[in-house]
Amino acid sequence: MQCDRARRLLPQLIDSALGPLHGLMVTRHVTHCAACSAHLEELQSMQAAIRSNLPYHRAPPGLAARIGAMLPREDVPTPSRSWLRMPAFAFGGSGLAGALAGVALTLLVVGGGRSSGDAVVQSVIGDHVRSMMADHLTDVLTSDQHTVKPWLSARLDVSPAVRDLKDDGFPLIGGRLDYVDGHPAAAVVYRHAKHIINLFAWASPGKPDTGFRHETHQGFNIVTWRSGGITYYAVSDVEAEQLAEFAKLVAAT
Amino acid sequence: MVQHDRKRRFELLALPHLDAAFNLARWLAGNTADAEDVVQEAYLRAYRYFDAWQGGNFRVWLLTIVRNSFFTWAKENRSSRLVFHAETPAGDFPETETTWGMPPRDPEALLMQRIDSQTLSRLMERLPTEYREVLLLREVEDLAYKEIAEVTGVPIGTVMSRLARARLALRKLWFGEVEAEAGNAV
Repeated sequence: MQCDRARRLLPQLIDSALGPLHGLMVTRHVTHCAACSAHLEELQSMQAAIRSNLPYHRAPPGLAARIGAMLPREDVPTPSRSWLRMPAFAFGGSGLAGALAGVALTLLVVGGGRSSGDAVVQSVIGDHVRSMMADHLTDVLTSDQHTVKPWLSARLDVSPAVRDLKDDGFPLIGGRLDYVDGHPAAAVVYRHAKHIINLFAWASPGKPDTGFRHETHQGFNIVTWRSGGITYYAVSDVEAEQLAEFAKLVAAT
Repeated sequence: MVQHDRKRRFELLALPHLDAAFNLARWLAGNTADAEDVVQEAYLRAYRYFDAWQGGNFRVWLLTIVRNSFFTWAKENRSSRLVFHAETPAGDFPETETTWGMPPRDPEALLMQRIDSQTLSRLMERLPTEYREVLLLREVEDLAYKEIAEVTGVPIGTVMSRLARARLALRKLWFGEVEAEAGNAV
Protein backbone atom coordinates (compact mmCIF):
# COMPACT_ATOMS: atom_id res chain seq x y z
CA MET A 1 0.00 0.00 0.00
CA GLN A 2 1.20 3.50 -0.85
CA CYS A 3 1.60 6.21 1.78
CA ASP A 4 -1.04 8.41 0.15
CA ARG A 5 -3.64 5.73 0.38
CA ALA A 6 -2.65 4.71 3.91
CA ARG A 7 -2.85 8.32 5.10
CA ARG A 8 -6.36 8.64 3.82
CA LEU A 9 -7.38 5.50 5.66
CA LEU A 10 -5.72 6.29 8.99
CA PRO A 11 -8.67 8.25 10.38
CA GLN A 12 -10.98 5.38 9.54
CA LEU A 13 -8.59 3.07 11.31
CA ILE A 14 -8.75 5.04 14.56
CA ASP A 15 -12.50 5.48 14.15
CA SER A 16 -13.02 1.72 13.85
CA ALA A 17 -14.57 2.29 10.46
CA LEU A 18 -12.30 0.11 8.34
CA GLY A 19 -13.22 -3.39 7.31
CA PRO A 20 -10.87 -6.18 8.44
CA LEU A 21 -9.08 -6.40 5.09
CA HIS A 22 -8.30 -2.70 4.77
CA GLY A 23 -7.52 -2.56 8.46
CA LEU A 24 -4.91 -5.26 8.04
CA MET A 25 -3.40 -3.58 4.99
CA VAL A 26 -3.10 -0.21 6.72
CA THR A 27 -1.70 -1.75 9.88
CA ARG A 28 0.91 -3.64 7.88
CA HIS A 29 1.91 -0.52 5.99
CA VAL A 30 2.27 1.44 9.20
CA THR A 31 4.61 -1.11 10.76
CA HIS A 32 6.99 -0.59 7.85
CA CYS A 33 6.62 3.16 7.37
CA ALA A 34 7.96 5.51 10.01
CA ALA A 35 6.26 8.60 8.58
CA CYS A 36 2.82 7.01 8.50
CA SER A 37 3.42 5.51 11.89
CA ALA A 38 4.20 8.92 13.39
CA HIS A 39 1.06 10.19 11.74
CA LEU A 40 -1.04 7.48 13.25
CA GLU A 41 0.45 8.14 16.64
CA GLU A 42 -0.53 11.79 16.38
CA LEU A 43 -4.06 10.96 15.43
CA GLN A 44 -4.33 8.51 18.27
CA SER A 45 -2.88 10.93 20.76
CA MET A 46 -5.42 13.58 19.73
CA GLN A 47 -8.22 11.09 20.01
CA ALA A 48 -7.04 9.98 23.43
CA ALA A 49 -6.64 13.59 24.55
CA ILE A 50 -10.18 14.54 23.58
CA ARG A 51 -11.62 11.39 25.08
CA SER A 52 -9.90 11.72 28.40
CA ASN A 53 -9.26 15.44 28.87
CA LEU A 54 -12.19 17.26 27.31
CA PRO A 55 -14.50 18.40 30.11
CA TYR A 56 -17.86 16.67 30.11
CA HIS A 57 -20.65 19.01 31.08
CA ARG A 58 -23.26 17.10 33.02
CA ALA A 59 -26.80 18.40 33.12
CA PRO A 60 -27.25 20.79 36.03
CA PRO A 61 -29.20 19.56 39.03
CA GLY A 62 -32.87 20.12 38.59
CA LEU A 63 -32.90 20.18 34.81
CA ALA A 64 -34.45 16.70 34.65
CA ALA A 65 -37.14 17.79 37.06
CA ARG A 66 -37.79 21.02 35.16
CA ILE A 67 -38.17 19.08 31.93
CA GLY A 68 -40.45 16.58 33.65
CA ALA A 69 -42.59 19.44 34.89
CA MET A 70 -42.65 21.09 31.49
CA LEU A 71 -43.87 18.13 29.49
CA PRO A 72 -47.64 18.20 29.26
CA ARG A 73 -49.49 15.48 31.07
CA GLU A 74 -53.21 15.99 31.01
CA ASP A 75 -54.32 13.18 33.24
CA VAL A 76 -52.56 14.13 36.45
CA PRO A 77 -54.94 15.59 39.01
CA THR A 78 -54.23 19.23 39.82
CA PRO A 79 -53.07 18.78 43.43
CA SER A 80 -50.05 16.80 42.43
CA ARG A 81 -49.08 19.33 39.79
CA SER A 82 -49.40 22.56 41.68
CA TRP A 83 -46.44 21.88 43.94
CA LEU A 84 -44.18 21.70 40.94
CA ARG A 85 -44.38 25.45 40.76
CA MET A 86 -43.55 25.82 44.40
CA PRO A 87 -40.27 27.56 45.12
CA ALA A 88 -39.12 24.56 47.12
CA PHE A 89 -38.79 22.76 43.86
CA ALA A 90 -36.20 25.13 42.54
CA PHE A 91 -33.60 23.53 44.70
CA GLY A 92 -30.17 24.98 44.28
CA GLY A 93 -26.94 23.64 42.96
CA SER A 94 -25.65 21.06 45.32
CA GLY A 95 -23.15 18.65 43.90
CA LEU A 96 -25.14 15.62 44.92
CA ALA A 97 -28.12 16.09 42.70
CA GLY A 98 -27.81 14.25 39.49
CA ALA A 99 -29.52 14.65 36.20
CA LEU A 100 -31.20 11.35 36.60
CA ALA A 101 -31.00 7.99 38.14
CA GLY A 102 -29.20 5.28 36.29
CA VAL A 103 -32.21 3.97 34.55
CA ALA A 104 -31.18 0.82 32.81
CA LEU A 105 -32.87 0.95 29.47
CA THR A 106 -32.50 -2.73 28.88
CA LEU A 107 -34.90 -3.33 31.72
CA LEU A 108 -37.60 -1.70 29.66
CA VAL A 109 -37.42 -4.57 27.28
CA VAL A 110 -37.37 -7.42 29.75
CA GLY A 111 -40.24 -6.12 31.83
CA GLY A 112 -42.64 -8.78 30.62
CA GLY A 113 -42.19 -11.99 32.55
CA ARG A 114 -42.55 -12.51 36.28
CA SER A 115 -39.18 -12.93 37.79
CA SER A 116 -37.93 -14.72 40.83
CA GLY A 117 -37.00 -12.98 44.05
CA ASP A 118 -33.33 -13.42 43.26
CA ALA A 119 -33.62 -11.45 40.04
CA VAL A 120 -35.28 -8.64 41.98
CA VAL A 121 -32.50 -8.70 44.53
CA GLN A 122 -29.89 -8.52 41.76
CA SER A 123 -31.80 -5.70 40.18
CA VAL A 124 -32.07 -3.59 43.34
CA ILE A 125 -28.40 -4.13 44.13
CA GLY A 126 -27.50 -3.04 40.62
CA ASP A 127 -29.65 0.06 40.97
CA HIS A 128 -28.22 0.79 44.39
CA VAL A 129 -24.67 0.62 43.06
CA ARG A 130 -25.47 2.71 39.98
CA SER A 131 -27.20 5.29 42.11
CA MET A 132 -24.01 5.88 44.07
CA MET A 133 -21.91 6.54 41.02
CA ALA A 134 -21.21 10.20 40.61
CA ASP A 135 -24.22 12.45 40.26
CA HIS A 136 -26.81 9.75 39.93
CA LEU A 137 -28.20 9.55 43.39
CA THR A 138 -31.20 11.81 43.33
CA ASP A 139 -33.53 13.56 40.92
CA VAL A 140 -35.04 15.61 43.65
CA LEU A 141 -32.57 16.62 46.33
CA THR A 142 -34.19 17.71 49.53
CA SER A 143 -34.60 16.59 53.08
CA ASP A 144 -38.19 17.80 52.99
CA GLN A 145 -40.48 14.78 52.99
CA HIS A 146 -43.34 17.03 51.82
CA THR A 147 -41.44 17.63 48.60
CA VAL A 148 -40.14 14.14 47.94
CA LYS A 149 -43.42 12.33 48.42
CA PRO A 150 -45.54 14.37 45.99
CA TRP A 151 -42.64 14.46 43.52
CA LEU A 152 -42.66 10.68 43.44
CA SER A 153 -46.41 10.20 43.45
CA ALA A 154 -46.78 12.66 40.57
CA ARG A 155 -44.60 10.37 38.50
CA LEU A 156 -45.50 6.91 39.65
CA ASP A 157 -48.55 4.92 40.51
CA VAL A 158 -47.33 4.49 44.06
CA SER A 159 -47.15 6.83 46.96
CA PRO A 160 -44.54 5.23 49.19
CA ALA A 161 -43.93 6.10 52.79
CA VAL A 162 -41.49 9.01 52.94
CA ARG A 163 -40.40 10.42 56.25
CA ASP A 164 -37.33 12.25 57.36
CA LEU A 165 -35.80 9.97 59.97
CA LYS A 166 -33.04 12.39 60.87
CA ASP A 167 -33.79 12.21 64.57
CA ASP A 168 -33.34 8.46 64.38
CA GLY A 169 -30.02 8.78 62.58
CA PHE A 170 -31.30 8.30 59.03
CA PRO A 171 -31.58 11.72 57.36
CA LEU A 172 -33.61 11.89 54.17
CA ILE A 173 -31.56 13.02 51.16
CA GLY A 174 -33.98 12.91 48.28
CA GLY A 175 -35.75 10.76 45.79
CA ARG A 176 -35.51 9.63 42.25
CA LEU A 177 -37.28 7.59 39.63
CA ASP A 178 -35.90 4.19 38.98
CA TYR A 179 -36.74 1.05 37.12
CA VAL A 180 -36.42 -2.17 39.04
CA ASP A 181 -36.90 -5.53 37.45
CA GLY A 182 -39.48 -4.28 35.04
CA HIS A 183 -41.30 -1.98 37.45
CA PRO A 184 -41.18 1.77 37.45
CA ALA A 185 -40.09 2.31 41.02
CA ALA A 186 -39.62 5.07 43.51
CA ALA A 187 -36.21 5.25 45.11
CA VAL A 188 -36.12 7.21 48.33
CA VAL A 189 -32.59 7.97 49.42
CA TYR A 190 -31.46 8.11 53.03
CA ARG A 191 -28.13 8.34 54.71
CA HIS A 192 -26.77 6.70 57.80
CA ALA A 193 -23.38 8.09 58.82
CA LYS A 194 -21.45 7.84 55.54
CA HIS A 195 -23.60 5.09 54.12
CA ILE A 196 -26.33 5.52 51.57
CA ILE A 197 -29.57 3.64 51.88
CA ASN A 198 -31.75 3.24 48.83
CA LEU A 199 -35.35 2.45 49.64
CA PHE A 200 -37.04 1.11 46.52
CA ALA A 201 -40.82 0.97 46.38
CA TRP A 202 -43.24 -0.14 43.71
CA ALA A 203 -46.89 -0.96 43.45
CA SER A 204 -48.02 -4.53 44.02
CA PRO A 205 -51.76 -4.07 44.03
CA GLY A 206 -53.83 -6.76 45.70
CA LYS A 207 -50.88 -8.61 47.19
CA PRO A 208 -50.95 -9.43 50.91
CA ASP A 209 -48.73 -7.67 53.42
CA THR A 210 -45.62 -9.57 54.50
CA GLY A 211 -43.16 -9.30 57.37
CA PHE A 212 -39.53 -8.29 56.99
CA ARG A 213 -37.22 -10.59 55.12
CA HIS A 214 -33.48 -10.07 55.55
CA GLU A 215 -30.86 -11.01 53.00
CA THR A 216 -27.21 -10.41 52.31
CA HIS A 217 -25.87 -10.36 48.77
CA GLN A 218 -22.55 -9.19 47.37
CA GLY A 219 -21.76 -7.34 50.55
CA PHE A 220 -25.05 -5.49 50.65
CA ASN A 221 -27.76 -5.94 53.20
CA ILE A 222 -31.31 -6.03 52.03
CA VAL A 223 -34.58 -5.89 53.89
CA THR A 224 -37.78 -6.42 52.01
CA TRP A 225 -41.41 -6.31 53.00
CA ARG A 226 -44.81 -5.51 51.57
CA SER A 227 -47.31 -3.20 53.11
CA GLY A 228 -50.48 -1.60 51.79
CA GLY A 229 -50.00 -2.94 48.26
CA ILE A 230 -46.46 -1.55 48.01
CA THR A 231 -43.31 -3.69 47.85
CA TYR A 232 -40.31 -2.20 49.64
CA TYR A 233 -36.65 -3.08 49.26
CA ALA A 234 -34.12 -1.33 51.46
CA VAL A 235 -30.57 -1.79 50.17
CA SER A 236 -27.40 -0.59 51.77
CA ASP A 237 -23.97 -1.45 53.03
CA VAL A 238 -24.88 -0.41 56.57
CA GLU A 239 -24.88 -3.22 59.06
CA ALA A 240 -27.76 -5.64 59.01
CA GLU A 241 -29.06 -4.59 62.44
CA GLN A 242 -29.11 -0.93 61.51
CA LEU A 243 -30.89 -1.64 58.26
CA ALA A 244 -33.43 -3.72 60.18
CA GLU A 245 -33.99 -0.79 62.49
CA PHE A 246 -34.36 1.52 59.51
CA ALA A 247 -36.92 -0.79 57.91
CA LYS A 248 -38.94 -0.84 61.13
CA LEU A 249 -38.93 2.94 61.30
CA VAL A 250 -40.07 3.27 57.68
CA ALA A 251 -42.76 0.62 58.07
CA ALA A 252 -44.03 2.37 61.18
CA THR A 253 -44.79 5.55 59.26
CA MET B 1 -54.03 6.99 30.89
CA VAL B 2 -52.68 6.86 27.36
CA GLN B 3 -51.12 10.27 27.81
CA HIS B 4 -49.74 9.20 31.16
CA ASP B 5 -48.04 6.15 29.67
CA ARG B 6 -46.69 8.13 26.77
CA LYS B 7 -45.05 10.62 29.05
CA ARG B 8 -43.61 7.97 31.30
CA ARG B 9 -42.30 6.03 28.34
CA PHE B 10 -40.74 9.17 26.94
CA GLU B 11 -39.12 10.06 30.25
CA LEU B 12 -37.70 6.58 30.69
CA LEU B 13 -36.18 6.73 27.23
CA ALA B 14 -35.11 10.35 27.10
CA LEU B 15 -34.01 11.34 30.59
CA PRO B 16 -31.11 8.86 30.78
CA HIS B 17 -29.58 10.76 27.85
CA LEU B 18 -29.91 14.12 29.52
CA ASP B 19 -26.20 14.39 30.28
CA ALA B 20 -25.32 13.61 26.66
CA ALA B 21 -27.90 16.11 25.42
CA PHE B 22 -26.68 18.77 27.80
CA ASN B 23 -23.01 18.20 27.06
CA LEU B 24 -23.62 18.59 23.33
CA ALA B 25 -25.78 21.68 23.82
CA ARG B 26 -23.24 23.18 26.20
CA TRP B 27 -20.40 22.73 23.75
CA LEU B 28 -22.47 24.16 20.94
CA ALA B 29 -23.98 27.08 22.83
CA GLY B 30 -20.92 27.88 24.91
CA ASN B 31 -22.57 28.50 28.25
CA THR B 32 -24.82 26.76 30.75
CA ALA B 33 -27.84 29.05 30.63
CA ASP B 34 -28.21 28.89 26.85
CA ALA B 35 -27.51 25.16 26.85
CA GLU B 36 -30.36 24.65 29.31
CA ASP B 37 -32.73 26.58 27.07
CA VAL B 38 -31.66 24.54 24.08
CA VAL B 39 -32.05 21.24 25.92
CA GLN B 40 -35.47 22.12 27.31
CA GLU B 41 -36.66 23.15 23.88
CA ALA B 42 -35.19 19.96 22.41
CA TYR B 43 -36.94 17.73 24.95
CA LEU B 44 -40.22 19.50 24.34
CA ARG B 45 -39.81 18.98 20.61
CA ALA B 46 -38.74 15.37 21.05
CA TYR B 47 -41.81 14.75 23.19
CA ARG B 48 -44.04 16.37 20.60
CA TYR B 49 -42.56 14.24 17.82
CA PHE B 50 -42.08 11.14 19.95
CA ASP B 51 -44.53 9.21 17.80
CA ALA B 52 -42.33 9.86 14.78
CA TRP B 53 -39.39 8.06 16.38
CA GLN B 54 -38.93 4.91 14.33
CA GLY B 55 -37.44 2.79 17.06
CA GLY B 56 -33.80 3.18 16.03
CA ASN B 57 -31.06 4.44 18.32
CA PHE B 58 -32.90 6.81 20.64
CA ARG B 59 -29.78 8.72 21.67
CA VAL B 60 -28.96 9.46 18.02
CA TRP B 61 -32.52 10.60 17.42
CA LEU B 62 -32.48 12.80 20.50
CA LEU B 63 -29.06 14.32 19.73
CA THR B 64 -30.33 15.18 16.25
CA ILE B 65 -33.12 17.16 17.84
CA VAL B 66 -30.77 18.81 20.32
CA ARG B 67 -28.46 19.80 17.50
CA ASN B 68 -31.28 21.20 15.37
CA SER B 69 -32.74 23.01 18.37
CA PHE B 70 -29.39 24.67 18.89
CA PHE B 71 -29.22 25.93 15.32
CA THR B 72 -32.80 27.19 15.47
CA TRP B 73 -32.05 28.90 18.75
CA ALA B 74 -28.82 30.39 17.44
CA LYS B 75 -30.57 31.75 14.37
CA GLU B 76 -33.38 33.28 16.38
CA ASN B 77 -30.93 34.85 18.77
CA ARG B 78 -28.55 35.85 16.00
CA SER B 79 -25.89 34.15 18.02
CA SER B 80 -22.28 34.63 17.08
CA ARG B 81 -21.93 30.92 17.81
CA LEU B 82 -23.61 30.26 14.53
CA VAL B 83 -20.44 30.11 12.51
CA PHE B 84 -20.93 28.25 9.31
CA HIS B 85 -18.02 27.01 7.34
CA ALA B 86 -18.41 29.66 4.68
CA GLU B 87 -17.77 32.31 7.31
CA THR B 88 -14.71 30.60 8.66
CA PRO B 89 -11.62 32.69 8.02
CA ALA B 90 -9.96 30.95 5.11
CA GLY B 91 -6.48 31.66 6.43
CA ASP B 92 -7.12 29.78 9.64
CA PHE B 93 -8.65 26.64 8.29
CA PRO B 94 -8.02 26.27 4.58
CA GLU B 95 -10.63 24.13 2.95
CA THR B 96 -8.21 22.59 0.50
CA GLU B 97 -5.68 21.30 2.99
CA THR B 98 -6.36 17.65 3.47
CA THR B 99 -3.02 16.22 4.44
CA TRP B 100 -1.21 16.65 7.69
CA GLY B 101 1.81 18.21 6.09
CA MET B 102 5.36 17.76 7.32
CA PRO B 103 6.01 15.79 10.46
CA PRO B 104 6.82 18.15 13.33
CA ARG B 105 10.42 18.77 14.30
CA ASP B 106 9.96 17.30 17.73
CA PRO B 107 7.07 14.88 17.43
CA GLU B 108 7.12 14.00 21.12
CA ALA B 109 6.51 17.58 22.18
CA LEU B 110 3.56 17.83 19.90
CA LEU B 111 1.71 14.74 20.98
CA MET B 112 -1.52 15.92 22.45
CA GLN B 113 -1.64 13.43 25.28
CA ARG B 114 -0.19 16.01 27.62
CA ILE B 115 -2.71 18.70 26.82
CA ASP B 116 -4.57 19.80 29.92
CA SER B 117 -8.32 20.01 29.84
CA GLN B 118 -8.40 23.78 30.18
CA THR B 119 -6.23 24.31 27.13
CA LEU B 120 -8.13 21.69 25.19
CA SER B 121 -11.43 23.40 26.06
CA ARG B 122 -10.10 26.73 24.91
CA LEU B 123 -8.90 25.28 21.61
CA MET B 124 -12.20 23.47 21.05
CA GLU B 125 -14.05 26.72 21.65
CA ARG B 126 -12.04 28.33 18.89
CA LEU B 127 -13.05 25.74 16.33
CA PRO B 128 -15.97 26.50 14.03
CA THR B 129 -19.21 25.02 15.34
CA GLU B 130 -19.43 22.38 12.65
CA TYR B 131 -15.93 21.11 13.46
CA ARG B 132 -16.57 21.10 17.19
CA GLU B 133 -19.79 19.24 16.64
CA VAL B 134 -18.32 16.37 14.61
CA LEU B 135 -15.45 15.96 17.06
CA LEU B 136 -17.87 15.77 19.98
CA LEU B 137 -20.16 13.31 18.27
CA ARG B 138 -17.23 11.11 17.27
CA GLU B 139 -14.96 11.21 20.31
CA VAL B 140 -17.31 11.95 23.18
CA GLU B 141 -20.53 10.32 22.04
CA ASP B 142 -18.60 7.63 20.17
CA LEU B 143 -21.00 7.73 17.24
CA ALA B 144 -20.22 5.98 13.96
CA TYR B 145 -19.84 8.05 10.76
CA LYS B 146 -23.30 6.97 9.70
CA GLU B 147 -24.83 8.16 12.96
CA ILE B 148 -22.97 11.46 12.79
CA ALA B 149 -24.33 11.85 9.27
CA GLU B 150 -27.81 11.31 10.67
CA VAL B 151 -27.39 13.85 13.44
CA THR B 152 -25.81 16.54 11.28
CA GLY B 153 -27.91 15.86 8.19
CA VAL B 154 -25.02 15.55 5.73
CA PRO B 155 -23.71 12.60 3.68
CA ILE B 156 -21.17 10.22 5.23
CA GLY B 157 -18.46 11.47 2.85
CA THR B 158 -18.97 14.98 4.19
CA VAL B 159 -18.77 13.70 7.74
CA MET B 160 -15.43 12.08 7.00
CA SER B 161 -13.90 15.09 5.31
CA ARG B 162 -15.28 17.45 7.93
CA LEU B 163 -13.87 15.28 10.69
CA ALA B 164 -10.49 15.22 8.94
CA ARG B 165 -10.52 19.02 8.65
CA ALA B 166 -11.63 19.37 12.24
CA ARG B 167 -8.71 17.28 13.45
CA LEU B 168 -6.35 19.19 11.23
CA ALA B 169 -7.64 22.49 12.57
CA LEU B 170 -7.35 21.37 16.17
CA ARG B 171 -3.84 20.12 15.52
CA LYS B 172 -2.94 23.48 14.04
CA LEU B 173 -4.26 25.34 17.05
CA TRP B 174 -2.36 22.99 19.33
CA PHE B 175 0.88 23.51 17.39
CA GLY B 176 0.38 27.24 17.69
CA GLU B 177 0.00 26.76 21.41
CA VAL B 178 3.17 24.71 21.69
CA GLU B 179 5.13 27.21 19.61
CA ALA B 180 3.87 30.12 21.66
CA GLU B 181 4.95 28.33 24.79
CA ALA B 182 8.35 27.59 23.31
CA GLY B 183 8.62 31.25 22.32
CA ASN B 184 7.84 32.38 25.84
CA ALA B 185 10.36 30.00 27.27
CA VAL B 186 13.22 31.45 25.23
